Amino acid sequence: MKNGPLFLLGLFVALVISFAGIVLGSHAQLGRLTPYFDDTEGQSFPQRTAGIAARGQMVYADLGCAACHTQQVRRPDYGSDKARGWGERQSVARDFIHQARPQIGSSRLGPDLANLAVRKPTAPTAAGLYHVLYLGADTHPSYRFLFDERKIVGEPSPLALQLKGSLAAAAGTEIVPTERAQVLVAYLLSLSNAYDYPESRPVAPAKKQGEQKK
Amino acid sequence: MTNVSTNAGTAEVTAIDTQARFPLLLLLGSGIVWLVVSGILAVITSIQLHSPQFLADCEWFTVGRSLALRETAFVYGWAANAGLGIALWILGRLGGYPLRGLNWVVVGTLFWNLGVTAGMVGIAAGDMTSFSLLQLPRYVQPLLVFAYAAIAISGVLAWSGRRADSTFASHWYAIAGLVLFPWMLCAAQAVLLWWPVRGTVQNIAASWYAQGAWSLWLAPLALASAYYIVPKIAGRVLPTYESAPLGFWNLIFVGAWTGGRHLIGGPAPAWVATMAVVTSALLLFHYLVVALNFRLAFQTQGTAIKFIRVGLIAYLLGGAFDLITSFRGVAVSTQFTFVTTAIEQLGWYGALSMMFFGAIYYMVPRLTGAAWASSAMSAGHRVLVVVGVVASVATYAAAGSTQGSNLLDASVSMATLFGNVRTSLLLNCGAQMILLGANLLLLVNFVRTACACCVSPAPATNLFRQPSSKMEAHAS
Repeated sequence: MKNGPLFLLGLFVALVISFAGIVLGSHAQLGRLTPYFDDTEGQSFPQRTAGIAARGQMVYADLGCAACHTQQVRRPDYGSDKARGWGERQSVARDFIHQARPQIGSSRLGPDLANLAVRKPTAPTAAGLYHVLYLGADTHPSYRFLFDERKIVGEPSPLALQLKGSLAAAAGTEIVPTERAQVLVAYLLSLSNAYDYPESRPVAPAKKQGEQKK
Repeated sequence: MTNVSTNAGTAEVTAIDTQARFPLLLLLGSGIVWLVVSGILAVITSIQLHSPQFLADCEWFTVGRSLALRETAFVYGWAANAGLGIALWILGRLGGYPLRGLNWVVVGTLFWNLGVTAGMVGIAAGDMTSFSLLQLPRYVQPLLVFAYAAIAISGVLAWSGRRADSTFASHWYAIAGLVLFPWMLCAAQAVLLWWPVRGTVQNIAASWYAQGAWSLWLAPLALASAYYIVPKIAGRVLPTYESAPLGFWNLIFVGAWTGGRHLIGGPAPAWVATMAVVTSALLLFHYLVVALNFRLAFQTQGTAIKFIRVGLIAYLLGGAFDLITSFRGVAVSTQFTFVTTAIEQLGWYGALSMMFFGAIYYMVPRLTGAAWASSAMSAGHRVLVVVGVVASVATYAAAGSTQGSNLLDASVSMATLFGNVRTSLLLNCGAQMILLGANLLLLVNFVRTACACCVSPAPATNLFRQPSSKMEAHAS
């Protein structure tokens, strides 16, 4: 490896092969994925994210929620994701095509959030999410900087948190989610991969010869 | 490599070293400072993992951001600075002439550290990109490319202008580390930040970059140090050295493909994960070559060698675990758990940092011409860091295996799971504190050594053992 230019060329070629293979190859396969138009429903899926939810994803990203939460459901026969009510089917690439920066995450210290809005048995409510974000829990940090404690001027805000006992706001004040909290909760309540795309349905096992296909 | 002086005591300190003293000590010193910063952040994040309310209301240190801060400080602060310093020194030594472009190195170092600091402030303020190992904000990344290039130029010049015609394994690995990183960073920035690709292709590209940062940038820098130091100290040629070029090209061609193992079962094409399994198996050849070459390290004595030995064992174990956890049957329980973190720590701390520590302990006396200020601190650092790394990897692995089995059992709620892993995470916190203490010892020791050399620049006689027969560079 005395030949300098040849050595550098070798390094470059190695890098280009891995970049082209992995990144450009995936891009060739997934880059032109379009929404799937369903005739019976008369609309395309996935549906476009509302602007408020897209801003919420930016808050989710800048707070680093992906450090403990994933947004990718695995196949029903690969892990317990379906049994835990995290999703009826695995996440597919088409679920993420409208997202500016998919937050699929890589660690599950907390539950998967891909289908948070349609979680069984009960889906969370905005009020419930505000409580978790404000108070935290034994297993979840609090995010009080997402809330304002302010004097009640005129009517109390409809978004004010209803807290009891020692946690309640002082008399004459209310705890109101800031805009960041509102968009974050709007985003969390938009998380749903409910539609069943052709590529997400399980592959039917081949029937034995002589049996009729249903 | 050639030694200019013939005096036994000063034979180890050459014109190459004295000329490069300030820039290289600046790089190493910056690296060690960042190591301590990342150690503090590691303690903070390890507390936050078992007690989520710790610093929760401080927006700048909310757990998602402090994890990003810790990772950035470790990789772009410690690993980058130390790796560059060591690589430049090795290339200079192997080249046989004093390093050129050292002013560029100093300017590059200042701008690199400025960029990383600005990036850390940006992450804390909420501008992190959310891509693993690429969390630095968008506005800082182009600066880093130029700063890195400014530093790397000196190394490339030392290689192209080398005295001997033949090259040695450290040459290949060090140049790979110097040259591949800016290319990878530019490519990753292009497809992730400036002209983002669509949907999950971003996550696939991010995993390509994250794996490349390890396999094509930092592992080569670590191996460059090991390939230089071990034969130098042993005074012998590495066994089975003829296979070293094959081991090198194996790593370079195949290394970046193994990142797809993190995307098993995810919204990525199945071939990405399958290629990762296949290439992890292909990479075993590289690990075999490394194991064969570095048998010598286990027959040699010395402070630096002790670090390199731990580093090599950790590197080989990491490779084995990478392969094992890439299989789908194993990944179903280890994916998304602390097992991945444990293997990562094994690589970043156990392998990379240990090999860098070995190189630093070897390099600094030769750069400064003075012995380490305190051999007690050196020994203390070595013992504590080995204990800390073993404890950290073991506790993460324990947490991860509990977490994995609990995740697979749908009847175990997430709250119960958290309770089950809490003890291991508490112990991990202790391990991070041990590591912080160890690295503080290194920092103090380093600062005292560097300052002493600035005060009295004359190299001491009788400082080094007589170097035994010189290592021969193989023609390749």
